[in-house]
Amino acid sequence: MTDWEPKITTFLCNWCSYGAADLAGVSRLQYPPDFRVIRVPCSGRVSPKFILAAFRHGSDGVWVSG
Amino acid sequence: MDKCIACGLCAEKCPKKVDDLYNENLIKRKAAYVEYAQAVPLKYAIDKDNCIYFKKGKCRACEKFCPTDAINLEEKEEELSIHAGAIILAPGFTAFDPSEYLTYKYAKHPNVVTSFEFERILSATGPFQGHLVRPSDHKEPKKIAWLQCIGSRDINQCDTGYCSSVCCMYAIKEAVVAKEHAGSDLDCAIFFMDMRTHGKDFDRYYDDAKEKNGVRFIRSRVPTIESVEGSDELIIPYVNENGDISEESFDMVVLSVGLKTSPELIALAEKLGIDLTEGKLCQTASFHPVSTSKEGIYVCGAFAGPKDIPQSVIEASSAAAKAGACLSVSRNTMTREKKVPEEKNVTGDRPRIGVFVCQCGINIGGVVDVPGVRDYAESLPFVEYVTDNLFSCSTDTQDIMAQVIKENNLNRIVVAACTPKTHEPLFQETLISVGLNKYLFEMTNIRNQDSWVHKDEPDMATQKAKDLVRMAVAKVALVEPLVEPELDVDERALVIGGGISGMASAKSLSDQGYNVDIVERSAQLGGMALNLFRTWKGEDIQKNLSELIESIETDSNIKIHLDTELSSVEGFVGNFKTTLNSNGKQEVVEHGIAVIATGANESRPDEYLYGEDSRVVTHLELDQMFMNNDPSLKDIKTAVFIQCVGSREPDRPYCSKVCCTHSIESALYLKELNPNMNIYVLYRDIRTYGEREYIYRKARLAGIMFIRFSVDEKPKVSKDNDVLKIELWDPILEETVVIKADLLALASAIVSYKDEKLAQFFKVPLNEDGFFVEKHAKLGPSEFATDGVFLCGMAHYPKPIDESIAQALAASSRAVTLLAKKTIHVGGTVAEVNPLFCSSCGVCVSICPYSAPSFIEEGPFTGRAEVNPVLCKGCGLCVASCRSGALNLKGFGEGQLMAMINQI
Amino acid sequence: MPDEVMGSVLVVGGGIAGMQSALDLADSGYYVYLLEKGPSIGGSMAKLDKTFPTNDCAM
Repeated sequence: MTDWEPKITTFLCNWCSYGAADLAGVSRLQYPPDFRVIRVPCSGRVSPKFILAAFRHGSDGVWVSG
Repeated sequence: MDKCIACGLCAEKCPKKVDDLYNENLIKRKAAYVEYAQAVPLKYAIDKDNCIYFKKGKCRACEKFCPTDAINLEEKEEELSIHAGAIILAPGFTAFDPSEYLTYKYAKHPNVVTSFEFERILSATGPFQGHLVRPSDHKEPKKIAWLQCIGSRDINQCDTGYCSSVCCMYAIKEAVVAKEHAGSDLDCAIFFMDMRTHGKDFDRYYDDAKEKNGVRFIRSRVPTIESVEGSDELIIPYVNENGDISEESFDMVVLSVGLKTSPELIALAEKLGIDLTEGKLCQTASFHPVSTSKEGIYVCGAFAGPKDIPQSVIEASSAAAKAGACLSVSRNTMTREKKVPEEKNVTGDRPRIGVFVCQCGINIGGVVDVPGVRDYAESLPFVEYVTDNLFSCSTDTQDIMAQVIKENNLNRIVVAACTPKTHEPLFQETLISVGLNKYLFEMTNIRNQDSWVHKDEPDMATQKAKDLVRMAVAKVALVEPLVEPELDVDERALVIGGGISGMASAKSLSDQGYNVDIVERSAQLGGMALNLFRTWKGEDIQKNLSELIESIETDSNIKIHLDTELSSVEGFVGNFKTTLNSNGKQEVVEHGIAVIATGANESRPDEYLYGEDSRVVTHLELDQMFMNNDPSLKDIKTAVFIQCVGSREPDRPYCSKVCCTHSIESALYLKELNPNMNIYVLYRDIRTYGEREYIYRKARLAGIMFIRFSVDEKPKVSKDNDVLKIELWDPILEETVVIKADLLALASAIVSYKDEKLAQFFKVPLNEDGFFVEKHAKLGPSEFATDGVFLCGMAHYPKPIDESIAQALAASSRAVTLLAKKTIHVGGTVAEVNPLFCSSCGVCVSICPYSAPSFIEEGPFTGRAEVNPVLCKGCGLCVASCRSGALNLKGFGEGQLMAMINQI
Repeated sequence: MPDEVMGSVLVVGGGIAGMQSALDLADSGYYVYLLEKGPSIGGSMAKLDKTFPTNDCAM
């Protein structure tokens, strides 16, 4: 184990996954604080450009959920 | 209640544990509680019947710990009197309590649960977090049985003669979902009498459950459940279809309990003076499906007969339409409108960003270093003002925020707090109140998605909050004010179809004050109902129908177009332009909305000697004989009905819904004409749902014989020396039965018109059976995903008159919500095309689910794409798919999202 | 009691049917009083796990 923490860019659909992430909070589920969420109106908005840009800016992972 | 911020501290500190009714008492909750995490309003309540303070006069722990002083234990019950123009009753149902059935061991054995308890067991928010275990030892069950008709179709033990309509489907669903949870090894068996899957796509679901999911279906009414001493197992003895006695053991048994009217509701009905049926349900008439016996009081949902969600939603809108019709002169007299100050133009101004960081009591502040985040925000570019608030959403903080925006001349706002899904509109209101465009705002979620989920890692949660604020600031600096264009709505309506549904819908629209054009392809109004004799409640259809036709013909708001079809449709919600064609004569009508009520047809059977022997008739032909008082009817010695003729077969796998009831009603009428007549009904499942069950019981008592057949062994009809002979295998007698009939009535299927032309005109979909596909199977049954187009009657799915009229009223109610606005506000976050970059590839046009993009037809950019902001829902699918970079999604532009990505 | 027709409706029950009625009426220009005996709206549907025949989440 090291202290290294990954940086994960997360695109969440406003109508489903973003709400689910809210519900995870309401339910007080605990998960690692490595995600940075970008709210999108629909996962269809996530262009491949954004994913590449996230990696270019140092993300270790990109998660698109919708 | 305004002060409660739903932090949950009161529930945490409350010492009193009580049964959790929301979870069917399978677990405990506190006396200070919120029903469930997604409850609306999300405000905690004190359960007065269980609270220690209310019982014993001391405790008040919740009051002491509440950070916002939201708890007032001195609050007294108040009596309010309300003046209203109409009342709608939507009180719902109570589930049948099976503890009175001693033989089913519900009260004694923990592994005998009701279907409602099983719903909670399956639910992720339920007592076992969605892990399928049995209550006795929390072990995963290997075998589960469902017993149908517990508290339904039973006058011996519980005095509920009706069918609860929904249990067959919910039991199948529970079995399918249980297998999804536990894997295919789980054995699920449903014990039933008749499988009543009569709704849209229900039979397909039943077939899939049987064939794809491997759910077992056993036709038997189970008399009792036996338990084994010293074991958690349950034994079900039953008589199988061949009459043999078997038994099987299960780990868990689910009782599919019926829907009942509660005693309190019966008392309320008495107080209001409204009539109930023999099943203690609200009495309504087929032609007035949501009207109670008292004027001005309407009913919807399960109180008017057990029903599923879409039918409840349909009736809810119908009741609204009826209430709206009697109050239409007072429309908009009591609603209030907000005054909005003029919007300040900030285009081109340097961003002046204000950042408000919320502590949410200790919800955020207890984990995240809020002052640290606030100070960090001050270092970010364009940030002119920062502060932190204890509760940003409170009314006084909103007032302060408005003041701060004005004093500091801020033009972009970031709030770091809870979730924008619940609170964004509130903060946007504050922006609007000081003349800022509401899109100059960004909210970032440092509670639900930060402090609440990382409570043991405060440092990293604080770092995450800082990152999120930095991302939000980067985005908000680039946002521009967006306009929400306003669009006038043409207040006229077009109804397509002059049958019962179309007429009921047109009448309802007219009653609510709108002008209607009604189009009928034939030469007269009335549609299919012209061929029908009487309803299952015994109402004369022709009498009611001619009254409806007359009310349409004498209505000055309604213009009738007979012998007319549509030849083209242009435009979109609020502004349609439709060309009508009547025998070559063209007429253009302009309208704001359209209702599709084109109905369905009776199929012509190609079996059972139909068309070859005049004694073989369809449903509708038999009704015609009834209406003509055909003298030959009295001489019939033996009449036979064959059900599911062309329905529920591989080529047409749906149920036509009305036939079982219609055949039984016809059989009873024949018995009225000649009590000595022998009558046989050959069926697969009798689907007399709801209180229709009474006529099934009546028919059995009247001596009408019911013989079941399976789709693999259908009856054989032959003609032998002019004798019409029907042979079929009787599974109970275990022998072939031969009937010589004088009349053979075929319950021929109801088929759609497969109107692809109409579907294309309005850009609405048809399903594989040719019926129109509604917006949402549960919540949008009377409208289309295409705005401004509505749906009712048999064009949606086969249904009886009462349900057709209910849906017609529902379609008109949904339409009025648009027409009453007079203008439509279009969302600001929509896609736009820069035609200079467009390469006319058409990807956006083909990919959009809402048909918003199209090709420009004239001018310098002919052939390039444009997006109709009225139709655009702002999903951004086209934007991400555009290979030329010509499309932009306002509010979620490439630059704005890239700015966020850059800051991660 | 006033003589003129009131532009308001009382809806009894905050389940799926009551909510839909209330929404339709409010959107059509009437003031609605929505009455619910419990502390939150949603009714029986809010207790369901999934809905048939689409297996959509009831919540």
